[in-house]
Amino acid sequence: MNKNKKTLLSSFGKSDNHCSDRRNFLAKSGKLALGASAVVVGGGLFSPNSFAAQKIGNDANTTLLKLARDIYPHDTLEDKYYVQVMSPMAEAAEKDAELFSLLEDGVKLLDKTSVEKYGVAFTQIKSEQERVVVLKMLEPTPFFQKIKGALMMGIYNNPEIWPLFGFGGSAWEKGGYINRGYDAIDWL
Amino acid sequence: MSAKFDLNDDSLVVIIGSGAGGGTLANELAQKGIRSVVLEAGKRFKMDDIENDEWKMFGKISWLDKRYVVGPARIAEDFPNLPAWIVKGVGGATMHWAGVAMRFQEHEFKMKTTNGTVPGANVLDWPISLKEMEPYYVKAEKKMGVCGTEATGMPYHGKSSHYKVVAEGAKRIGARCEQAKLAINTEVRDGRPPCQVNGFCMQGCRIGAKWSTMYTEIPKAEATGNVEVRPQSMVLRIEHDKTGKVTGVLYADKDGNQQLQKARIVAVAGNSIESPRMLLNSESSMFPDGLANSSGQVGQNYMTHTTGGVYAEFEKPVHMYKSTVVPGIVHEWKDNDPTRGHLAGYELEILHLGLPFMSAFLNPGKGGWGRELADSLANYGNMAGFWICGEDMAVESNNITLHATEKDQYGLPVPVVYKTDHINDTRMRNHAYDRSKELFDAVGALKVNNLPPYPASHNMGTNRMSEHARDGVVNRWGQAHDIKNLFVSDGSQFTSSGTENPTLTIVALAIRQADYIADQMKRKEI
Repeated sequence: MNKNKKTLLSSFGKSDNHCSDRRNFLAKSGKLALGASAVVVGGGLFSPNSFAAQKIGNDANTTLLKLARDIYPHDTLEDKYYVQVMSPMAEAAEKDAELFSLLEDGVKLLDKTSVEKYGVAFTQIKSEQERVVVLKMLEPTPFFQKIKGALMMGIYNNPEIWPLFGFGGSAWEKGGYINRGYDAIDWL
Repeated sequence: MSAKFDLNDDSLVVIIGSGAGGGTLANELAQKGIRSVVLEAGKRFKMDDIENDEWKMFGKISWLDKRYVVGPARIAEDFPNLPAWIVKGVGGATMHWAGVAMRFQEHEFKMKTTNGTVPGANVLDWPISLKEMEPYYVKAEKKMGVCGTEATGMPYHGKSSHYKVVAEGAKRIGARCEQAKLAINTEVRDGRPPCQVNGFCMQGCRIGAKWSTMYTEIPKAEATGNVEVRPQSMVLRIEHDKTGKVTGVLYADKDGNQQLQKARIVAVAGNSIESPRMLLNSESSMFPDGLANSSGQVGQNYMTHTTGGVYAEFEKPVHMYKSTVVPGIVHEWKDNDPTRGHLAGYELEILHLGLPFMSAFLNPGKGGWGRELADSLANYGNMAGFWICGEDMAVESNNITLHATEKDQYGLPVPVVYKTDHINDTRMRNHAYDRSKELFDAVGALKVNNLPPYPASHNMGTNRMSEHARDGVVNRWGQAHDIKNLFVSDGSQFTSSGTENPTLTIVALAIRQADYIADQMKRKEI
């Protein structure tokens, strides 16, 4: 029924395959077309030389991406949709000291909480269920809410994604649906 | 041709607000040759400003001035600064509505007689009856172009896929479901086109098929030469003389300069938060508790309807967005039948949100994230759902007050909105959730999501009508009990909320009020 999941098993209790480690992520992003990698390389969040990687720590890239994917997990969505949200935020942090500490402190707290709870850094927690336990503990923080808010707009208000989830977007310029299937349904 | 009036012209009616109440009143008076100035806090938008984009329109037209929501209800946690989802602009909340136009039921005008005293509530009968309102409902339906009514003869919109899913579920559980009476054209009428089903009724109809005072009453009123609309004019206080009659309205114009418009009559129609706020802000040595407040009821009895959402997920596509926003209503539980475990009734209004808003309201607030939510949102195309709209008990402590210290950009105390459930509201909502689940299960739902109430677009009751001056703020004409040239012309005059969406009743009351004002002016009573 739900195109969002691969199988229940792959999302719960087992390690999921999305960017479970840095190498895997880089291998994937290496396949992106140049246009898309420009986002990645050009001072973005996810290049090895990126601001986030340099300043927040080497694992910040994977940590933030993992966090983003866990907040609104859509296994069938490519990483680029999450990167499109996280990258501008990391770039903005270069010029915004408050945002920078929000992210830096947030990533630290995330890893600290993960270590306390499961003995490893956030990205090293293999099961989504356990990462969710950690994230639930961070839920009240401005760090978490900032990223959640940005992702909500970046994912669900993104016209590129609408067709994948079955939403039509703006219709008036196409004459609405009066002649485009407003009454069509075949399964009742 | 729009008029231009002098600030010192004291022969005018000054109408505050340009929505369903204010916009209608201005036009009705103008057609009778009575001149008015309409002070509107918001901007004047053009048709081109209306987009099929939920968040853009939210940012563009919503009333986003600082407000607080307090109280134990979840809305105070989820939306601490957004109690109400209404509009700041010419046309007011008639831009942000789905067009649902139902008449009140007879018993809803007499809730106290029907149910007696309700513990913990401040229920009262209206000083008017359905019978008295009927001719005005007909006029309102004609004015607004309500489909499915005798008044217009316009047919319904036809059954959308979203409607069909719900109607099938309703049939299987024996509940009555009908297409919605909407103030949205299904034929060319009144110089406006028929609906083409864009699916974005709620944030302004791009083609003007849905009635809004923005492009109906307001331009018609201006065309008479009897009306001047002043956008971006925020009312600061209503002035009065030593006899206690109101004499003018002080407002901040678009450049922030204070202006005093003199008036023969003042009509307040700024929606149920701003209207009592203006009266409270107008306190003076003569009226230390605010204007028209000898009863102490100004700002009290704030009602929003008992609401909630229910969205079911199916195996196959519904494409609910390919529909008027409200294609139909399940009327089964709209009557007052205490054997259900609650007083008064509710409607299940079939209603879609776009995906962007669904992501914000399916599980609002800080905890709205994670796989369950994401799975449901990925299943958006297979969803069908309701907005629950039920009668909200008047409770005195649900109210609008002024913040003790904090001021807004106009220097006015920020409004504080306290709103929480009466036990009857909670019981009604739970009943509605349960019946909704039965209905959707009957048609094969895989999952049914219950949504908590979101910021209210139906705001009522804070300057209520009453037979006796001690029980309310205005009389049966919306005229202040205490000040005879001061009127309330919006939903804040509602004595009870009814289960029906308020706009049609606001318009009917405004038409009726215009008749009364004209008569009283002629008799030199005001």
